[in-house]
Amino acid sequence: MQMIVIFIIGIILMYTDMAFATFSPMTVFGVEVYFVPKLLLMYILLLTIYAGPRISMFFAILFGVMLDIYIGSLYGIHIFGFIAFVVFMQTAFRVFYRDFVAMAFVVLLNSFLFDFYQYAVYSVLDFISMPVFDYVALRAIPSVLVSALFFVILYVLAIQTAKVRKELRRIN
Amino acid sequence: MRVTKFFNRNRMLIVLFGIVVLIALIGFSLTDRDATTKAEQFTGDTVAATQQAAGAPFGFIGNIFSNITGSFSALEENRKLKQQLDMLPQLQADNERLAAENEKLRKSLEVSSSMAYETVNARVISRAPDQWLESFTIDKGEKDGIKEGMAVSTSEGLIGIVTRVNGGSSFIEMISTNASQNNMSVEVRHDDEAVYGNIRNYDTEKDVLVVENIQSKVKLEEGDEVYTSGLTGAFPEGIVIGKVVEVENDEYGLSQNAYVQMNSDLNDVDNVFVLKRDPESLED
Repeated sequence: MQMIVIFIIGIILMYTDMAFATFSPMTVFGVEVYFVPKLLLMYILLLTIYAGPRISMFFAILFGVMLDIYIGSLYGIHIFGFIAFVVFMQTAFRVFYRDFVAMAFVVLLNSFLFDFYQYAVYSVLDFISMPVFDYVALRAIPSVLVSALFFVILYVLAIQTAKVRKELRRIN
Repeated sequence: MRVTKFFNRNRMLIVLFGIVVLIALIGFSLTDRDATTKAEQFTGDTVAATQQAAGAPFGFIGNIFSNITGSFSALEENRKLKQQLDMLPQLQADNERLAAENEKLRKSLEVSSSMAYETVNARVISRAPDQWLESFTIDKGEKDGIKEGMAVSTSEGLIGIVTRVNGGSSFIEMISTNASQNNMSVEVRHDDEAVYGNIRNYDTEKDVLVVENIQSKVKLEEGDEVYTSGLTGAFPEGIVIGKVVEVENDEYGLSQNAYVQMNSDLNDVDNVFVLKRDPESLED
C-alpha cells in the first residue's frame, strides 16, 4: 500500500518538475532565469529519513531508470545521481542532527548539488557552455528558492506517506 | 537486513563501481544508434501515456483560464478589427499584389518539388525537467511512420532531430544543444548563390548557432537565409533554419564562420512537424 502511494506521489512530482520546463526560463529584466526545482529528488531524499533507506533506494532506482529512458540524452545520469544522493543523505544524517532546519538545509543542499553534478557532467562532455557565475546566479539560486517554497509541502507529504506503513502494520 | 549491512560496509566500493557503470553508459549513449530497443520503447511509451493522462486535467483547466483571459481582450480586439475594416480598400489592393506574388512563389515551389517531404503533425507532451539539453517528447511514434534521424520543425523553421522512437511517442533533441548536431551540414544562400557549411555548436550566450567551414568565395552578409542542405541523414533539403546575424573569418582566413539566429522560438514549442523525406530521394 505504501509503495503504491509513494509511486503515485512520485509520478505527480515528476510531472510537476516537467511542468516547470514549460514556462522556464523566464525573461526577467532582459536575462533568462531558470527555475529548476527538483521535487522528485527532494521527496526521495526525505523518504530516506522517514520511510527508510531501502524504500527510498528502490524508488531512486525506479524513477532513475524511468527518467533516463524517457527524457535522458545520456543514459545513467539520473539513476546514478539518485542512488548516489540517497547514499549521501544517509551519511549526511549521521553527522547532522535530526531536526527540521538541519534537514531542510541538507535536502536543499542536495538538490543544488544534484543540479551541479548534471552541470559538471554536461560541461565536461561539452554539451553545454554556461559560465559558472551565470549558472549560480541565474539558475542555481532561483531553483533552490523555488525548491524551498515546495519543501514544506514535500515534508508533509513524506511524513504522511511514512505513516501509511505504520497504520497498515497496526492493522496487520 | 543483510543486504543493508553489506551495503553500508561496501558503500565506497559500490559508488566507485557505479561511476564506472555511469561512464560506460555515457559512452553507450554517445554512440550513434539507428534503432531503439524494445525495452526502451516500452518504458518510454508507458511514461508518455501516463503523462498524457495526468496532463489532461491540467490542460482542461488551462483552457478554461485562457478562455477567460481571452474574453478580457475581446474589447481591444473588437476595436482593432473595426480599424482594419476601415482599411479594407487598401487591403484589396494589397490582395491583388499578393496574388501575383503568390503565383510567382508557387512556380518556384514546383522547381523545388525534388525536395519533397511529408509532414506528420505532433504535439509536445513534455519538456525535459532538467532544462539542460532542451529535449522534448512528442505524441507520435513508430506507428505513425517516424524513424530515428528525421528532422523536426515548427511552423517557423527547423528545431530538432528525432533520436529515439517508441511505439506512440518519440524523443527529440533540439539542434540548439551540442548533443545532437553532429556537424550537421547546412546551406547558406546569399542572393542566388548557395554555399555549404557545418554547424559547429550553439552559442548559449548569444543564442545563435555557429556555422563554420563556409567557403570564402561568396561573401555572406547579415540577413542571409540558412537552410538544411539535404546532405545530412534523413533531412530533406531546403528546410529553413534561420538568418545570419554576424559573419567573421576563421582564424586561418581560409573560410568564414557565420552566426545564425534560429527562426523557431526554442522556449515556446507546442506543436511540431516531423518531416518524412521522400524515400526515393534517399536511395541514391
